[in-house]
Amino acid sequence: MISSLGIGLVLAGLFFAAIGSIVGFVAGARRDAWLLQVARYMAYGYGASLISACLLMMYALLIRDFSVHYVSEVGSLSVPTHIAIISLWSSLNGSILFWGGVLGVYVIGMVASLRGRHPDHEPYAIGVLLAISVFFALLVASIANPFAPTELPIPLDGPGPNALLQNHPLMAFHPPMLYLGYVGMAVPFSMCAAALLAGRLDAGWMAPIRTAMLVPWTFLTVGVVTGGWWSYEVLGWGGYWAWDPVENASFMPWLTGTAFLHSAMVMQRRGRLHNWTLALGMATFLLTLLGTFMTRSGVFNSVHSFTQSDIGPVFLGMIALTFSSSVLLLALRSHTVMPSAAPPVSKPSSRETVMLLQNLAFASFTFTVLVGVLYPLVMEGWFETRVTVGQPYFDHIAVPLGTAIVFMMGVGPVLPWGGVSEAAAGRSLLPALGAGVVATVIAAVAGIHHSMVLLALFVCAFALAANLGEYTEPVGVRMKRGEGVFTAMSNVLARGRRRFGGHVAHLGVIVATVAIAMSSAYKVEQDAVLTLNQSTTIGAWTATSLGTHEIKESNRSATVARFSLTKGGSDAGVIEPRLNFYPRMMEPIGTPAVRSSVAGDLYVSLLHVDDAAGVVSIRIMTMPLVVWLWVSPLFIILGTLMALWPERRALASASVAPAATVESV
Amino acid sequence: MKVNVPVLLGGLFITAILVAMLGSGFGHDPREVPKALEGRVAPTFSLVSTDGDPVSLADLRGKPVIINFWSTWCQPCRQEHPLLLMAPSQYPDVVFLGVVYADEPAKVKAYLKSGGQTYPHLIDPGGRVSIDYGVAGVPETYFVDVNGLVIHKEAGPIWPDLLAELVPKMRKP
Repeated sequence: MISSLGIGLVLAGLFFAAIGSIVGFVAGARRDAWLLQVARYMAYGYGASLISACLLMMYALLIRDFSVHYVSEVGSLSVPTHIAIISLWSSLNGSILFWGGVLGVYVIGMVASLRGRHPDHEPYAIGVLLAISVFFALLVASIANPFAPTELPIPLDGPGPNALLQNHPLMAFHPPMLYLGYVGMAVPFSMCAAALLAGRLDAGWMAPIRTAMLVPWTFLTVGVVTGGWWSYEVLGWGGYWAWDPVENASFMPWLTGTAFLHSAMVMQRRGRLHNWTLALGMATFLLTLLGTFMTRSGVFNSVHSFTQSDIGPVFLGMIALTFSSSVLLLALRSHTVMPSAAPPVSKPSSRETVMLLQNLAFASFTFTVLVGVLYPLVMEGWFETRVTVGQPYFDHIAVPLGTAIVFMMGVGPVLPWGGVSEAAAGRSLLPALGAGVVATVIAAVAGIHHSMVLLALFVCAFALAANLGEYTEPVGVRMKRGEGVFTAMSNVLARGRRRFGGHVAHLGVIVATVAIAMSSAYKVEQDAVLTLNQSTTIGAWTATSLGTHEIKESNRSATVARFSLTKGGSDAGVIEPRLNFYPRMMEPIGTPAVRSSVAGDLYVSLLHVDDAAGVVSIRIMTMPLVVWLWVSPLFIILGTLMALWPERRALASASVAPAATVESV
Repeated sequence: MKVNVPVLLGGLFITAILVAMLGSGFGHDPREVPKALEGRVAPTFSLVSTDGDPVSLADLRGKPVIINFWSTWCQPCRQEHPLLLMAPSQYPDVVFLGVVYADEPAKVKAYLKSGGQTYPHLIDPGGRVSIDYGVAGVPETYFVDVNGLVIHKEAGPIWPDLLAELVPKMRKP
């Protein structure tokens, strides 16, 4: 029953997407309002069908309907309810369905938010987005069909989802965040393609594209960081980022998306970088397709690529088609979006120059990461040589480019659009540079002597002062005019909420940079083998083994080791790292115990328990400031919300012309 | 029609290269452990067992030999231990050897005392033999036939049917 209903919904979605896509393109070419309305209904139809199909699958997982093939693959009577729900994305077929459902949400979101305001562009955007939807609906309806009925006899129980997914609550957040990021990039892609198809790109159309990028970009940021957090909390090696192919796959679209958000501002404010901005917007989606391919094709070796499947060649075909269509669109239509009037002259010391340099840094970063990802694949596929590209390669790129990007994040906001003389630029940068120097000296006096950390602290303090200065300066001016401090603060904020949203997001990047620099340079790690009541000391912490015990849970059993802790001699409670054993998994999965504080973490990972000898082996480490890395996306979420929150004026008069709502960054 | 030729040619070239690169990965299993030793003569070694007896692979030429690399800290090794414990009685003509990988002799002795032992376990000082065999992780099991050739390498725990399948092949001269 559920199988037939599910397949019906997916086929309906496929029908709506296919018809809607064609109607959208025709409506765009003919500028036909009636056809556009039909395309909108088709888009809503696709969204409703695929969202319903996802909910239906969740229901099947919840009631453990093993007559549905996917449920018989990943469902189990023994897993708790929340695990049953997240099993939707625990295996290939379910995750492709989830992709289709999330795309449905975005399709509805795009059509609802554009409605009526951009008649030239909207039909093409719907046409392209529904063409992408056709591909995913087709996958779900054919080779990745999760609704296929189970072959008889129907099993009474199933194996449950991948144990790594069952092992930690973050698995309920990290994959959907990443999906919301990946899938959502289809919207700015479609809108960029629509600009080329319609042959018109002005600031009025760039504003909704930028919003369409900002939403999935924020989800992607959260997805990438929670992925690192999950890796830290579960994998037990004490790190959060290993430049693994699949981690890189999520990082590359983040880089190009970030570059896009800045180059779009240059386009809106200075009438430059039209084609570059469109290319970035499109490349970001293409990189998310690449990322999905990496996780789902089985071609890359990674802790994250959970599935080996025959979906790879089909996906590769989709990548080839999307890449070549994008290239054709840019090559044949790029001249149509160029502004007719020459852009205003910019001085070298201008905000747009810094943004251009920053864009180049992001592009080089993306390219070098891509090379590192593809190199082993090519060496093995073409030359039968097995190589790995390790952390040192990526660190060599990431450290200088990351430092340069954070530095430019401080320079950009201080310089005005259009530019000033070099002398004036130097003068306006001086206070922030001074703050950077002061922070570096304080850090050095406080005992930080690692040169790269000092450099990171310098650029972070510089960028922090520059971004804060953008806020405090106008507040100061208003206070001189007689306004109270809080009135001045809220007035300044109200007049440039989008701009300050950007500054708040910058704070998130600064916080993350400090956390990464400190936690990677000042991590202290040691392995210890402890008998009962034996202790090991690391920094101020001492851990004493209190022995082990076994526990049994519905879906797993576990060996738990207990350690009493003291910090600086005083009692600090008990910590319990564990090894979880799942049925059908040969090796146990560790769950390290982490004691977090704002100053740093104590991290204890249980490596092995030898009952016969009565010893436990552990890895114990201290990581300063790492908790701030997990906090950093909150700034980015806040910044995005500030930028997206509707202006009071815009709410009051919804009919405001699009060109007039161009943000005032 | 105005065509941006550099974008067109450059873009299509990059697309073609990228697709060819990604496509080259099909047909390769990235998780596969290289099996360079299969079909070659098993590297010889002379080691001392935990009981103090010397064992030399060269002396065993003419007999099928199963060499199992393991350690006490490895959970899958413990899983396959009962099977290996039983196997010598099932295949009395086959010589079973355990080689201890990156572990302490005292722990190994304690483990064998509690877990049982039916064949010699060799201490591999400095992991020289493990390096010769290219052991990437434990457990790994090498099946050496009567001619001294490695006919199969199994990464991960072994299972009864694997022994039943390979032992007859190892007996063939």
